Amino acid sequence: MSNYPTYLLDRAKITDAHTLAVAQKHGAYEALRKVLKEGISYAEVIRVVKDSGLRGRGGAGFSTGMKWSFMPDPVTDPRPRYLAINADESEPGTCKDRVLMEQDPHGFLEGCLLSAYAIRAKVIYIYVRGEYRAPYNRVLAAIAQARAAGLIGKKILGSDFDCEVWMHKGAGAYICGEETGLMESLEGKRGHPRPKPPFPAAFGLWGQPTTVNNVETVFNAPFIVLRGAEWFKSMGTKTSTGNLLVGVSGHVNRPGVYELPFGVSCREILEDVCGGVWKQRKLKGFLPGGSSTGVLTAAFIDTPMEHDAIKQTGSMLGTAAMIVMDETACMVRAHEIIARFYEHESCGQCSQCREGTQWLHQIFHRIEHGKGRMEDIDMLVTLSRGMAPAKTICALSDAAAIPTLAAVQHFRGEFEDHVKQACCPFLPAGTKRPVFAGAH
Amino acid sequence: MTKIIINGREVEADPKEPLIHACHQNGANVPMYCYHPGLSPVGSCRICQVEVKQGNGPARVVVACRTPVVEGMVVDTEAPKAHETRRECLEFLLKNHPLDCPICDKAGECDLQDYAFAEGQGEGRSNEPRRKLDKRKSLGDVIVLDEERCILCSRCVRFTEEITKKPQLAVVDLGSRSTISTFMDRPLQGNYQGNLADVCPVGALTLKAFRFQARVWNLKKSLSTCGECSRGCAITVEVLRRKDVKRFRPRYEPKVNNWWMCDTGRFSSERHNATERLVPAARRGSQGLEIASVERALKQAAEFLSGAVACIGSPFMTIEEAQSFAKLCSQLGAKPAFVSPAPSGLKDDLLNTGDPCPNRRGLLELGFEALSPAASRARIAAAPAALLAGERVLELCERAQLAAIRGPRIATFDTHALEGDACDVAVGIPEQVEKSGHWVNIDGHVGKLTVARAAPAGVQALTRSLDELRALLTSSGVASR
Ligand SMILES: Cc1cc2nc3c(=O)[nH]c(=O)nc-3n(C[C@H](O)[C@H](O)[C@H](O)COP(=O)(O)O)c2cc1C
Ligand code: SF4
Ligand code: SF4
Ligand code: FES
Repeated sequence: MSNYPTYLLDRAKITDAHTLAVAQKHGAYEALRKVLKEGISYAEVIRVVKDSGLRGRGGAGFSTGMKWSFMPDPVTDPRPRYLAINADESEPGTCKDRVLMEQDPHGFLEGCLLSAYAIRAKVIYIYVRGEYRAPYNRVLAAIAQARAAGLIGKKILGSDFDCEVWMHKGAGAYICGEETGLMESLEGKRGHPRPKPPFPAAFGLWGQPTTVNNVETVFNAPFIVLRGAEWFKSMGTKTSTGNLLVGVSGHVNRPGVYELPFGVSCREILEDVCGGVWKQRKLKGFLPGGSSTGVLTAAFIDTPMEHDAIKQTGSMLGTAAMIVMDETACMVRAHEIIARFYEHESCGQCSQCREGTQWLHQIFHRIEHGKGRMEDIDMLVTLSRGMAPAKTICALSDAAAIPTLAAVQHFRGEFEDHVKQACCPFLPAGTKRPVFAGAH
Repeated sequence: MTKIIINGREVEADPKEPLIHACHQNGANVPMYCYHPGLSPVGSCRICQVEVKQGNGPARVVVACRTPVVEGMVVDTEAPKAHETRRECLEFLLKNHPLDCPICDKAGECDLQDYAFAEGQGEGRSNEPRRKLDKRKSLGDVIVLDEERCILCSRCVRFTEEITKKPQLAVVDLGSRSTISTFMDRPLQGNYQGNLADVCPVGALTLKAFRFQARVWNLKKSLSTCGECSRGCAITVEVLRRKDVKRFRPRYEPKVNNWWMCDTGRFSSERHNATERLVPAARRGSQGLEIASVERALKQAAEFLSGAVACIGSPFMTIEEAQSFAKLCSQLGAKPAFVSPAPSGLKDDLLNTGDPCPNRRGLLELGFEALSPAASRARIAAAPAALLAGERVLELCERAQLAAIRGPRIATFDTHALEGDACDVAVGIPEQVEKSGHWVNIDGHVGKLTVARAAPAGVQALTRSLDELRALLTSSGVASR
């Protein structure tokens, strides 16, 4: 495995890095100290983050510096403002934020505090997915330690920067990871996404200016502030700078979360980092960035893992959660499972998404279980086109439509085989697929 | 006002309202399910897609109910892309819809049916089983929910949150499993439940009272005003086969009731289906009350109406009727008065004023005196003769106690007369839904009544009867003062 410079997971690998003493010994809160002691202005923090090219790690890859600069000027708009940290991490395949929160909670908190400083928020809410007990407890303990050490609360490190941090546990809905659904949920309501505009920077939590950032996004901020934009840009590619956490799952020898610079090829990730496809089998396809990104065939394995290159294949980088499928995998089956997830998680506000996610799942299910018809394959396409792009309040509808379109585009033959043979060709003769409860 | 272009025409749009409002005001037919002009826009059903261009930007398809109007914006509601997006959305909405229009009370006034008819495909593409849900879930005394028909627009939820401000409904569960429910399945409460059947764009929430009563296209609709309190909500009276009053429904009137009305008013429609009517008139003979012609009855009344006559009107009298009544009073040298019953106890913060006199203000402005039922009866008891006129006047004077009064000779003009009623002469009159005229509400707004159903043959307008009586009195020498 080639040697790339690392920084995201360095501290996480140290024993007891979740305690304040060990974390501080290894550089935690240095950037915050520097900013507060040297009186570096919030504008300067935003500028350096903007210059660094840091892009959000929550899935959309929007420029973080730009997002911060959308927050209104506190002089003309003195309303309270909030930073909400998206730690809901529910995209199937994605489990990177968990590592950061569990292994390096102080690094994460420093990222939160610096980001809050940049947008002049005095309150941070961390929205953690309910199943993440260990990360929740680690961060909660870290908050207590940091507060005791004067790193959270009033007059942080003797400066006039006040900042409070609150944790909130989700109740297991994927939709609460969508930024406006997250805000509704934080307000104590159903996690129904809000139509935009208004955008969170203008009308966010309780109607106040709010920025929502992913865990890994803010985790990058202290390193950028400390080491500079140029250092950050020395890693990755021109438009995708820095390192990112790639979470690999599926049919590989060594699944896991790895820190790699943007631009490393998917082949290198699969073969060098993860030890190749398991059981000496051949690669059939992979989802580059989690369940909402379109599947790619083995022919795309040399694509660099970075926003533009992956976009050119018609797929998306998403959360860089690579899901690998070997030659024995049934693509119809795989997408039936994905469709089932989106049907289960749609909040149900938008007609297209509520009915479409169910419809797609029903069709996938029928094809997989030998009841498909040739017309169904085109139905999958036309229905998906009715669900996306940008036809609904949030992107969950797109997230269900995109993988469907890609599956039919790249693996139409497999769908046709299912229909022709009136069963799943990947099943050994005489066996039956287990049917999930709730399937139709 | 903001200048925008809708379908090639420059129009003025209210910047406080979303784009869909301007579209509707200017005749562009943009469908809507979750949007209701009286509720906050949530932009969730996604049916109201229109194409919008701003400045040099590209044309975008957006939901009109969540798009603010911006000066110079160019809107095309008929753009192919907008139509296509709406059609797709419609297909999804129909995916699980039971399509039981033939047995649905909403058929004929259903937004989903209308739009499916206008734009939908003849045949559905779905081969999947439709969702099986509760088709008759009682939500209390007024409303029944058909979960299968519900398109989850959340209008009903917002109605209880924003209008009555007593949240009672919610969407429960997620995604395709969502349904509408009251909290812990408790029955709905309050005097505004009927509005839920109106705000529901489909046949999911329907009135128990209207269940399987009529096909709406057989209902003749006439504009009118509700008489249950002095708010005088603007309504539509809906009559089946020229006979049965099937519904009172609120009619949009921003100065009075917006889109709403209370259940007391809504269900007062039932009262107009009473079978007992006085047609055309009666007079007391040896065998009790005997049917007589109006002419004969009026003649007899003219004979005994003299001296210090007590004149009591009904608060249901229209301005026009009250003017005839006042003229007659002045001819008789009496002060016009109306019987004003005690507050109904139904007063609330929304519409109901608790004052059961729909034309109190109009009558007071005409110089009428308001008398309690007891005071009205006292005045009658003290007079040698009395004239009682207007819909429900006998009932409001408290029929039984009125009947106990001995002495004065009484002429009544009411919709019906009972054997035991205190009257020597009774003349039938049209009901509220059978006459035209005006009421003045608590705020001075003039509400209109029109003829929704003809009065029974032979029954003539109260104004006419009163005017004819006055003419008889003049000719018999009772001087006009
Ligand atoms: C259905 C849906 C689910 C999402 N779930 C998550 C999530 O679990 N975690 C996350 O960080 N972002 C999630 N996002 C993305 C967020 O909406 C938002 O873009 C992100 O939190 C912004 O942070 P960033 O700019 O730092 O990436 C989700 C988006 C959608 C549409
Ligand atoms: S797209 Fe789906 S998940 Fe998103 S708001 Fe609409 S219904 Fe809810
Ligand atoms: S019951 Fe009617 S008003 Fe309520 S959400 Fe369903 S369709 Fe909308
Ligand atoms: S009417 Fe506009 S989205 Fe429902």
